[in-house]
Amino acid sequence: MNTGQIISGAGHLALIGWALIGGVFRSDPLPFEVVEATAISTEEYAALIARQSAPEAAAVVDTPEPPAPGEAAPGLSSEADAAPESAPPEASGTPPPDATPDVSEVTPPAPAEVADAAPVLEVPQEDVAIMVPEVSRRPEPRPAPRVAPEPVAQPEPDVKVDEVARPEVTPDESAEVVQEPSEASAPEEAATEIVTEAEKPKETAPSTSLRPKPRPARPAAVAQETPTEAPKPTPTETPKPAPVQPKTDQNSVNAALAAALGGGQQTTERPAGPPLTSGEKDALRVAVQQCWNVGSLSSEALATTVVVTVGMAEDGKPKTGSIRMLSSSGGSDAAARQAFEAARRAIIRCGANGFNLPVEKYDQWRDIEMTFNPERMRIK
Amino acid sequence: MMRTILSLLAALMLWAMPALAQSSGPLRIEITEGVIEPMPYAVPDFVADGAAGAEFGRNIARVIASDLSGTGLFREIPAQAHIGRITSFDSPVQFADWRAVNAQALITGAVSIDGSGRLVVRFRIYDVFAGQELGSGLQFVGTQDGWRRMAHKVADQVYSRITGEGGYFDSRVVFVAESGPKDQRAKRLALMDYDGANLSYLTDSSSIVLAPRFSPTGDRVIYTSYETGFPQIYVLDVASVGRRALPTPEGTMSFAPRFAPDGRSLVYSLTQGGNTDIYRMDIASGTSTRLTTAPSIETAPSFSPDGSQIVFESDRSGTPQLYIMSAGGGDARRISAGQGRYGTPVWSPRGDLIAFTKQSKGRFHIGVMRLDGSEERLLTASFLDEGPTWAPNGRVIMFTRETQGAGGQAGLYSVDISGRNLKQVPTGTGASDPSWSPLQN
Repeated sequence: MNTGQIISGAGHLALIGWALIGGVFRSDPLPFEVVEATAISTEEYAALIARQSAPEAAAVVDTPEPPAPGEAAPGLSSEADAAPESAPPEASGTPPPDATPDVSEVTPPAPAEVADAAPVLEVPQEDVAIMVPEVSRRPEPRPAPRVAPEPVAQPEPDVKVDEVARPEVTPDESAEVVQEPSEASAPEEAATEIVTEAEKPKETAPSTSLRPKPRPARPAAVAQETPTEAPKPTPTETPKPAPVQPKTDQNSVNAALAAALGGGQQTTERPAGPPLTSGEKDALRVAVQQCWNVGSLSSEALATTVVVTVGMAEDGKPKTGSIRMLSSSGGSDAAARQAFEAARRAIIRCGANGFNLPVEKYDQWRDIEMTFNPERMRIK
Repeated sequence: MMRTILSLLAALMLWAMPALAQSSGPLRIEITEGVIEPMPYAVPDFVADGAAGAEFGRNIARVIASDLSGTGLFREIPAQAHIGRITSFDSPVQFADWRAVNAQALITGAVSIDGSGRLVVRFRIYDVFAGQELGSGLQFVGTQDGWRRMAHKVADQVYSRITGEGGYFDSRVVFVAESGPKDQRAKRLALMDYDGANLSYLTDSSSIVLAPRFSPTGDRVIYTSYETGFPQIYVLDVASVGRRALPTPEGTMSFAPRFAPDGRSLVYSLTQGGNTDIYRMDIASGTSTRLTTAPSIETAPSFSPDGSQIVFESDRSGTPQLYIMSAGGGDARRISAGQGRYGTPVWSPRGDLIAFTKQSKGRFHIGVMRLDGSEERLLTASFLDEGPTWAPNGRVIMFTRETQGAGGQAGLYSVDISGRNLKQVPTGTGASDPSWSPLQN
């Protein structure tokens, strides 16, 4: 026997002994209640039961004794009972007749005037709910460790959602200029991402940073640019100081903001609109691929993916002169050129009548980058 | 007042930021599904200077249309449907007229005859929907007899410019012209344009000829002839039709020759003592080098375009299969792996594919596979398909198809390597064993 077996045996023995001696198998008595009881005799029990169950029957029942034989039958009288006395009803006095109505003052009703024109009915006004301003504080949502899968109704906004923030205006009688009362409004709150409390990072990032440099000019863009566009700075140019705004009126503030934020591009008044839905994108994709004919492409061009940019007019038609190849991969320059030409034909041909794009989202599809990837067409 | 301005500024920032974030980049979509259909094009008659040129202008346009439509990649918009008229080669094209008939490509040209009687052909290719010229216009000058070749050259340019790969229209095919019944068939070498035009014969039908093969420059043809009663290899000069037998040991049979890419040597099979092996011969000196030594039958060798490797057929595993070895001989690796018998391998001019004949379950197929045997694709199936040869651009394969029965006849067919556009090549006579020339200069 080796040491391991000895140790194992000893250990097992100790375990078994502890189990037997230590009372592992001993069970404590179950808890019980003590109830007082008294012994009663059978008669008492029967009496007790009988009292509880059946109603007590009448002990003595009067039964008429049968007449004895030969006994005369009892005499039966047939006299009617005397009628009870009752007083005759007294006749009531005749009521005096009603007085004759006086008709001398009554004039016959005038005949109703009947107009030929149909009466004009007023259109009932719609029920208008009275807006009761909420004055009580809204209860804050209790933090929950999980997000319920059921969608919940969006809470009503505290203030009217608008594109710009407007302070509430209440009529001030003392003011010289009378302002129309209006409700306070503010743009809807939004964030670029959803951050839970657990994920919320500490704000260690610097609060300010340099603006990223603009994307370098596309090589072929120079010829396409319109002279109205702002000239691109060249490296040799020294940066000019920003023009000083003499008056901070509304327009100049607006222009300065737009220039600072978007390089003067966002000067249109129309909002950009929400992004295109996947359905709208799919419709565009299907429209283009109907005209993307790869049948006449070389096998090398069929292995070349090209990225094409196209500027779109507001009527959904591609601007032919703006179609350019941004990049290509997978083939030689010659193959990329063929692939680009096939892509360009597809865009122009199927866009000749205008792609079906929502005009209210024009800013979203003003420029489109299309990647033509023929990988799946090679095996067909 | 200051506070009002600040709040106004803040409001403007709030309004402007989301708009900026949303319109910061262009809309991006990916197109992965397209259509495969012939590209519609129009080729009006070429504008001619005089009456003599008018017929050339019409004929050249017809040959170009035949070439392009024959590829299966293009579809001609017939002249009756044209709205626009090309009356002057140099005047601007009214693209709207051609868009209206859905012509995606437009080929215009002019034909004239210069002072020395030579034919001058000028042409331009337009991308109709883009409204611009594809490349720049070109001009060919040649003899009036060579008008078909000039038309083929124009078509090659159009094909190359649109598809991105070389054309194959200005090329010729040498083949074995067959006549007579199957059991007594007369065979002789014939030469024609790739489209069957300009048929001529290189040999008479006094002896059986087999397997002609063009040299890499297209000026010579090597073939096997039974002129002496035994199969023997001959080399023939296409221009002069002069020929000579290549030296081989007596009592041997030599066949299945094919030029090396350098044009100075060839590989062939030689049967000696019941064993067939592959040899390489220097044409100038006539000395041969043995490349295989297996006791099995090795035949049908074909060089890779760079001349470094040879693909051949061998039955060393029991059934004919395809193998690749170094151009100097040595170990060979098997590349065919499917069921059936593989033969007559030919290396693509592009170097990426090997065409072959496959016999499986009683049917013959022409197929292609990659150099490692993968992606095997059978392009045809019939009672008897064999002997593939590649078009100069490696996109089309021509082969022999023979119909069943005693009255069955052999003809030439071509098929795109995608398996599409199978069609018969007009030869006017029974034809087999085609060999496609390179593009002519």
